[in-house]
Amino acid sequence: MNLPPRPEPSVRLTARPLDDWNAAYSKVESYFYALRVRNKLHLNRLVALVLERAMSRAAREQGRTATELAVEEMDRLVNEWFADVLQEHSTGAEMLSTRGRLALLLADLSGKWQDQFLRPGPWPPEFVTAMRETYLRAGPDFQISQMAPRPLDLGPISTLTEFSRLPYTKMVVTWTLFALLLVALFILTHH
Amino acid sequence: MPDRAPTTSPAPGLSFYRAPRLGRGWRIFLFYSSALVLTGLVSMLFADLIWRSGWSVSGLCLMALFVVLFLLTAVGCVHGVFGFVVRMLGGNGRFERGQDHRSKSLEGISTALIFPIYNEEIARVYEGLRATFESLERTGQLQRFDFFILSDSTDPDKWIEEERRWFELIRELDALGRIYYRRRALNEAKKSGNVRDFLSSWGRRYRYFVVFDADSVMRGETIVELVKRMEASPATGLIQTVPALVEAESLFGRIQQFANRLYAPVFIAGLDFWAQGFGNYWGHNAVIRTEAFMQCCDLPQLPGRKPFGGQILSHDFVEAALLLRERWQVWFACDLEGSYEEAPQTIIDNAAREQRWCQGNLQHAMVILAKGLRGVSRIHLAMGILGYLASPLWLLFLLTFYWMLWYKQYTGLSDITVHNFTPFIHLSGPQHAFFIFVICMAVLFLPKVLALVDLAMDRDRRRAFGGILNAVGGAVGETAFSTLHAPILMLWHTKFVLVALFGFDTGWGPQKRTAVGVGWLEATKRLALHTVIGLFWGVAVWRLDHRTFWWFAPVVAGMVLSIPLSVLTSRANLGTRARASGLFLTPEETRPPLELAGLRARMEAWRAAGEMTSRRRDSGMAAAVLDPYVNALHASLLRENRLNPNYARVLKEMGVGGPEVPVLRERLLTEGPEKLQRREKLLILSDAESLPWLHRQVWHRTAETLSPWWQAAVREYVR
Repeated sequence: MNLPPRPEPSVRLTARPLDDWNAAYSKVESYFYALRVRNKLHLNRLVALVLERAMSRAAREQGRTATELAVEEMDRLVNEWFADVLQEHSTGAEMLSTRGRLALLLADLSGKWQDQFLRPGPWPPEFVTAMRETYLRAGPDFQISQMAPRPLDLGPISTLTEFSRLPYTKMVVTWTLFALLLVALFILTHH
Repeated sequence: MPDRAPTTSPAPGLSFYRAPRLGRGWRIFLFYSSALVLTGLVSMLFADLIWRSGWSVSGLCLMALFVVLFLLTAVGCVHGVFGFVVRMLGGNGRFERGQDHRSKSLEGISTALIFPIYNEEIARVYEGLRATFESLERTGQLQRFDFFILSDSTDPDKWIEEERRWFELIRELDALGRIYYRRRALNEAKKSGNVRDFLSSWGRRYRYFVVFDADSVMRGETIVELVKRMEASPATGLIQTVPALVEAESLFGRIQQFANRLYAPVFIAGLDFWAQGFGNYWGHNAVIRTEAFMQCCDLPQLPGRKPFGGQILSHDFVEAALLLRERWQVWFACDLEGSYEEAPQTIIDNAAREQRWCQGNLQHAMVILAKGLRGVSRIHLAMGILGYLASPLWLLFLLTFYWMLWYKQYTGLSDITVHNFTPFIHLSGPQHAFFIFVICMAVLFLPKVLALVDLAMDRDRRRAFGGILNAVGGAVGETAFSTLHAPILMLWHTKFVLVALFGFDTGWGPQKRTAVGVGWLEATKRLALHTVIGLFWGVAVWRLDHRTFWWFAPVVAGMVLSIPLSVLTSRANLGTRARASGLFLTPEETRPPLELAGLRARMEAWRAAGEMTSRRRDSGMAAAVLDPYVNALHASLLRENRLNPNYARVLKEMGVGGPEVPVLRERLLTEGPEKLQRREKLLILSDAESLPWLHRQVWHRTAETLSPWWQAAVREYVR
């Protein structure tokens, strides 16, 4: 079988070795895969889109690696899309990223909406509703209150001083008398 | 095929006969007087036996120990006898008789079902919750109930897994806004603190709450029935169901569950006879009136050092006592079916649980004389304490008996001929001793026989146990096993009591519930001392007197055989074989209810998918940082938690948001999680701002700036 010749390591793209772009591709693909984008065609197109944006910066930013540029572009692309879909342009990057990923999870991106991921609008109304209006609630609204502490007097002495008032005193006295009767009976029969 | 057993289980017997109504005081008097009379009469016979050889200090000690031990046995026996009679007279379900609850509507009533968990096997907990959820859904009353998973987990991996699987569960059940998850940042006061935290946060929203254990399952109809009973009886603060032990696989587990299912109905009917509305709380599978609990059950810290001082460990008994003190009623729902739990699967796991309970119950000595407690509560607490003190007392009894024999042999003294009951009972010394032994055995085994008679009189139940012959075979096997198991427990309980009395804290670890078996090495480590004591004791008694040896033989055999007994009874294959041969069958095995059948199928699916195998260390940290969804979910839950001012305060006290966190999270990335302590990992995972930052960093940074651990973790995501 004739395999195509292996590219020379010296082959470079936008002033970086091809292997660097390969590593960048792999990283971006992995992240999208972690986001459960499983459709291969869509996945490859998204990775290519990110790498194109990274390459366009590469010529200007010589000190940065291809992977650095690619993940930055990926982050930017995803966050821009989150801001558009969620209509939250003023939210900070990390907060927006968290909110967006949670929205994807709640909207069931991997099950229903893979083809919508990173697509420019307009999006199907059902998708937009699922993304914008589903909020995670780990608990109902707090209704803070405090349990009422009741004092508990543990002192046995104070209890024993009121022994005669205990409701079972008569019962205990009866049982004691019974025990005494047995002892007496025993003594009487053994002398 | 799964079967639907009735929710209520009427007792067999003479239902046309109505037992005369007795006041509670008379019931307690009648019940405990029976035990005391029995103890008194047999103690007389025992005193007479000692009298034959003349009184001595050791004889007096033996006598005192006999009285206490026999009294405890007699109380157990009387529970069986009274329970049997009550069931025969159709008196089971006394609560039901007095209340008209069936017509009660649940309209407008909100009830929370709470699952306090602590580093548990998550799949099992959630599948139990799912079984209960689906069962409740079938009643058409699901909308009246909210589910709360209340995590106190301190293992970072468990924490993340709990969150991840919670989300999967709510998605599968479409239960967003119905099943909630909350983790406390600080597990102060352990389980009781966990429940109090729930009440402080959401208690006011719910009229009732039902407490579940990590392995509890309850039938929906049973839960609805419990709430209706609470509605019908405004004076009732708590109703405790009697959970059936289920899902055991090992031989030990199956024997325990068989004993529970066969004997418990009779014993609990006896308990209910005298307790009435002054029952007890066993910590879970119970419905509680929120307002009553919040008013009365804020547990005090006990004075002094651990293990007796500090936080009350076995809080359930004390909470019931506090409810009763404030004139709320506490009932046993001994007629209700559909309440399940699991039990330890091996002798060693069972002992670990006993150790925790022992410390908790002994601690009740601090509370038992508390002012204002009801007398019945003191009885419940005393019984709990004596349940563990009985073991050292039994050991002392045996040692004293052995001492007396040795002394007699050593000194060569002969029996003093004196007057005794001989003129009346015409028995020689050995016959006299044997007569007392027979009485003791009868008192010990009578409840078991009565439980079998009770079973024989109920056709449905009899069939559910695989027929009366199988049940009798099971009871004989269980009795043989418990005879050997009792001396093992005796030594263990003695050790636990001594450990507690000398002030060592046992700690409260999570309970192991799955049947994974005990290896020979582990069993030898745990039970070598038992074996040595048994061998030494056996040889000593044999050398003293061959005839006496046979009296000690069951005790010695239990100790000597403790290692093989522990290993063999832990095996699931022996449990399966016993089941195939019809031994130790229970109704839930022969006619699995829908809830348990579904639970079993799902757990098998989890095992087949390899989800039950232990995960790699720090897998939770890896998921929380790397996985985009787990990370977002975790950060979102942390942010929601901060809305509670109590949680926000605790997090701040822990150092969340403080200067230590940025240093730690940088170390996490550059050194890897294995270099961080658990507290440090928990601190990072508790910081809502750090998680998104870490997620970004770990995906953005080049491999050289990450520790090898993270490089490997990222590679797992690379396709």
